Parts: sequence; structure tokens; C-alpha cells
Amino acid sequence: MTAYILNLLVLISVYAILSTTLNFIIGYAGIFSLAHAVFFGIGGYTAALVAMHVTPEFFVAVPVAMAAAAVTSLLLALPALRVRGEYFVAASLGLQVLAVTLFSEWKSFTGGLGGVIGIPAVEMFGYPVYKPWQFLLMSLICLTIIIVIIRTLVHTSFGRSLKAIRDSESAALASGKNITVIKTLSVVLSSALAAVAGALYAFYMSFINVESFMLDTSVLVMAMVIIGGTATILGPLLGAALLMLMPSALTYLTFLPQTEIGSIQQIVYGMAMVLLMIFRPGGIVSSHPGGSK
Amino acid sequence: MLFLQLLANGLQVGAIYALTAAGFSLIFGSTKIFHFAHGATFAIAAYLFHFALTGLGLHWTFAVAVSATSAVVFGVLLDRFMYAPIQRHEGSFFTVFVASFGIGIVVQNLLGSVFGRGFMSVPTPLSNSVEVIPGLYLSPLNGLAILCAIACFAALHFFLTRTFTGKGLRALSENPELVRTFGLSPRRLSTYAFALGSLLVVPGAIFTAAGTGINPAVGHHVMLISLAATIVGGIGSLRGAACAGLLIGVAENLAMWKLGTQWSEAITFAILFFFIIFKPSGFFGRATVS
Repeated sequence: MTAYILNLLVLISVYAILSTTLNFIIGYAGIFSLAHAVFFGIGGYTAALVAMHVTPEFFVAVPVAMAAAAVTSLLLALPALRVRGEYFVAASLGLQVLAVTLFSEWKSFTGGLGGVIGIPAVEMFGYPVYKPWQFLLMSLICLTIIIVIIRTLVHTSFGRSLKAIRDSESAALASGKNITVIKTLSVVLSSALAAVAGALYAFYMSFINVESFMLDTSVLVMAMVIIGGTATILGPLLGAALLMLMPSALTYLTFLPQTEIGSIQQIVYGMAMVLLMIFRPGGIVSSHPGGSK
Repeated sequence: MLFLQLLANGLQVGAIYALTAAGFSLIFGSTKIFHFAHGATFAIAAYLFHFALTGLGLHWTFAVAVSATSAVVFGVLLDRFMYAPIQRHEGSFFTVFVASFGIGIVVQNLLGSVFGRGFMSVPTPLSNSVEVIPGLYLSPLNGLAILCAIACFAALHFFLTRTFTGKGLRALSENPELVRTFGLSPRRLSTYAFALGSLLVVPGAIFTAAGTGINPAVGHHVMLISLAATIVGGIGSLRGAACAGLLIGVAENLAMWKLGTQWSEAITFAILFFFIIFKPSGFFGRATVS
């Protein structure tokens, strides 16, 4: 039972990192990305390869994974951020679909559909981290550091520029903000931090394949951000906890057909998204009581 | 010969994509609602056609009617009970998109739970292929899909340029304020746009159900294609969406000539990326770089 709860908590903190980093661009920059799972995946695969072929040292594998995700996100951000919001959604969707094809075809990097097997236990300054509680501690520390980084950034002039762009792009442009640079930086930062979650996930599972990095994951993380509440610190954490606990909670409702749990979960969060958008667009933890942005 | 075969398949698929994309483009162009659940409409129409024909054993004309009615009702209900309340208090692109996306997820999973997650297809006498020339297999369905698309576009063109409501829809895409001043209700026109846009997915849904088959995720796939076609063709341009749909259908199939089938979706998005980078206004659209 303890093992079960620890496992859930580790997964919640990994997904909380994802939702927090996605919230940084959705909530504060107003950039709507459906490709977050791509950077999660790149982080995971890169960290796995570094750990298997170079060194399982945390402070080597994670920075390399972050750098890989940051470079890839530049490829998406540079062309796509020049155009309006709708186009970015389409472009990020496109990247997600392309990435899934690449992840399943590029066998030397990702192991194809079979995935990467036998990722060694991660080491911190030479000490292996493999017990579940050690792992939980490590992911919670990563999550805390990421939250602190984002919170600090949001309160600097960079964060204020982001919010200005979100609320009115032309007004921000008129007051001399370099919109493209600011938006690109925020996407790169968010993707690099998402790669941390990927690396943690890869080390924790010691096996990864393309199934974890498909469009469904991007949508799930997006739902966490939206249901929890955009542009808040607490919202994405709450969203991650709620949506990760839901499948386990549903298994206790024995009258539900157990084979349909996955579907029921998706129906519940789909419905939650619809109802929240109609009645409370700010999410559960709304930064603007009363609804409107 | 393989080339001709792929070209023929591509034209059929392209005709279906063109119709669906035109529906999305019509809704998005005139109401500015990013109707991501358009794919869900497609899936509902396809599944109810299948159910009416094989489950209830109805004659195919009734099955077509069931499918068309369900698509229109679903579209109009969404407009009335989901988009209208959202637009009343805010209606930012983001809010509308999330709600629409949510309903898409719900429909996909409901269809999966009710009808099963496997591939289904409706066998009809029209789907049987015959070898026309050596190596080229065609079914009557190929030609029928293309003819049907042409007929639909002709009717749509007539409706939008000759009738009062059609002109109203075009006016709505230009300037909603002026439409209100003129004494027309943008709300009512929006309902017409949803009814018409949803009706346009029906032929595609039926041909897909009778041809390559459907699964619950088909709505998602169709939505991605419509979105890509709308942007490649230029937002707000029906002609553009239709041409782009055809282009994507053909490109996707011709890609199989050299690459595996798993690359067909990647090809679509390579085209989309190319347009977003080099020509974001699309074939016929106005400049959209803000």
C-alpha cells in the first residue's frame, strides 16, 4: 500500500512539473501549445541515452536533456510565433503529430515502438537513487525549484512583459517590447523545464516508449492546467493531483465497468473542461473571481 | 500503375477532406468560432450512418437522413448551448477552443464505449473494386465521392452568392456589427452557419464509413486535416479550404509511393509547417501576420 501511494505521488509530482511549465506559457504568455508531450519525450529519451551510454549522473543527464528540448523548441517557436494564436495551436499540433511519427520510426534514438529498456538508476554525486521515497524526495525538490523559478520570473519585468503581451499584443508592441524575443524565450524556458519531468520519468520507470509522449499526454496536461486554473501557481498543481488521482478513485467505484475506466476518465475531464469554460473560465483556482479574464 | 492507383485514391480522399474543411472554414470564417468539435460531428455522422444501416437495417436513404439529421442537430445544439453562453460573457479564442476540444474528447470516448474501439466499415455493393486497366482498381465509390463533392460545392456556391441567408453569412464574416445594424441577428446567422457547416461533413462521413472504415479516433484525424486545410487554404476562404483539402488528400496518398503509410499524417503537417513559415495567409487568404 505504501509502495502504491509513493508511486502515485512520484507520478503526480512529475505531471505537476509538466502542468506548471505548460501553465507558464498558457497562463502568463497566452501561447497555447499542444506539443508539451514532445518536450517531455525529448527530455526522457535524451536523459535515458545519456544515462545508458555516458553517465547516470543526474547533474549531467538533466542539463543535456534540457538543452535538447530547448533547441527543439526553438525550431517550433521561431517560425510559429510570428503568426496569430490559432496558427500556433495548429503548428504545435503538427509538431506533436510529426514527433510521434519520429519517435516511433527513429529506432536508434528512441528504440521505435519497443522503447528504451534498462535505463540505469540515476546517481546524484555518485550516490545511486533508486528507493521510491528517495525518488519522491528528488522529484519534489525539482518541482519546488521549478515553481520558485517560475514564480520569480513572473514577478520580474520579464513576467510583466509576458502578461502585457497576453492581454494586448499591439499595446505591448507600442510600448517597445520585443514580442518575438520574449515569446520565444518563454517557450524555450517552458520546454527546457518540461524536459526535467521527462528525465525524472525515464529514470523512475527505467523504461520508456512512445506511448507516454503522444497527443493524449499533451491533452491531459492541458486539461490539468485548465481545470486547475490558468495563471495561478496552485491551479496546475491541484489539476495534476486531481487528474492523476481520478483513475485510482474510479477503480473504487465497483459498479463502473473496469475496462471502461480510461474512457470514463477522459469523458469526465472533457466534460469538466466544457462546464468550466461556460461557468468559470479561470479554472477551479481562479485568479480573477467572477470568471472573465 | 501504382502511381495512378494512389492518385485515384488521393482524389477520393481529397474530395472528402475538401468538403469537411469547407464546413470548418465556413463556421470559422463567419462566426469566428474555432469549432474543434467539427471532427466529433464527422464521427457522429459516420457512426449513426453505420448504426442505422447495419444495426437497425434501414434502407440506405433513411440511413443517410439519420446521419444528416444527427450532424445538423449536434452542430446546432453545440452552438446554442455551448458557444452562445461562452460568447455571452467572454468568448476569447482560448475559452472557445478549450470547450470545443473538451466536447471532442467526450464524443470520442462515448462512441468508443458504445460502439467499440475497433475499425468498422459498412459493406455496400458500391465499395467493390474492379480492375479497370491492369493494376488499377477502382470502385464506383471513388467516382461517386468526387461527383458528390462537386455537386455540394456547386450548391454551396449558389447558396452563398444567390440567397439572402447566404449573403448574410458572408456579411457576418466581414463585419458582425454592420449585420446587426442592418437588422439581422448574428445569433441566428451563426445557427445557420453551424447547420450548414455540419451538413457538409455528412458526405465525407458516409463515404469514409463505406470505404476505408471508421474508428472513434476518426474525428480527431479529420479535425487535424480540416485545420491544416483551412490554414493552408487561407482562413475564411472556402475555395482555399477546398483546394487545400484536395491537395492534402492527394499528397498524403502519393507519399505512400515512396514512404510507408505511417508517414501520411507527417506529410500533411510538413505541408502545414511550410505554409505557416512561408505563406501564413494561405492560397487565397488575406494577410494574417499580426
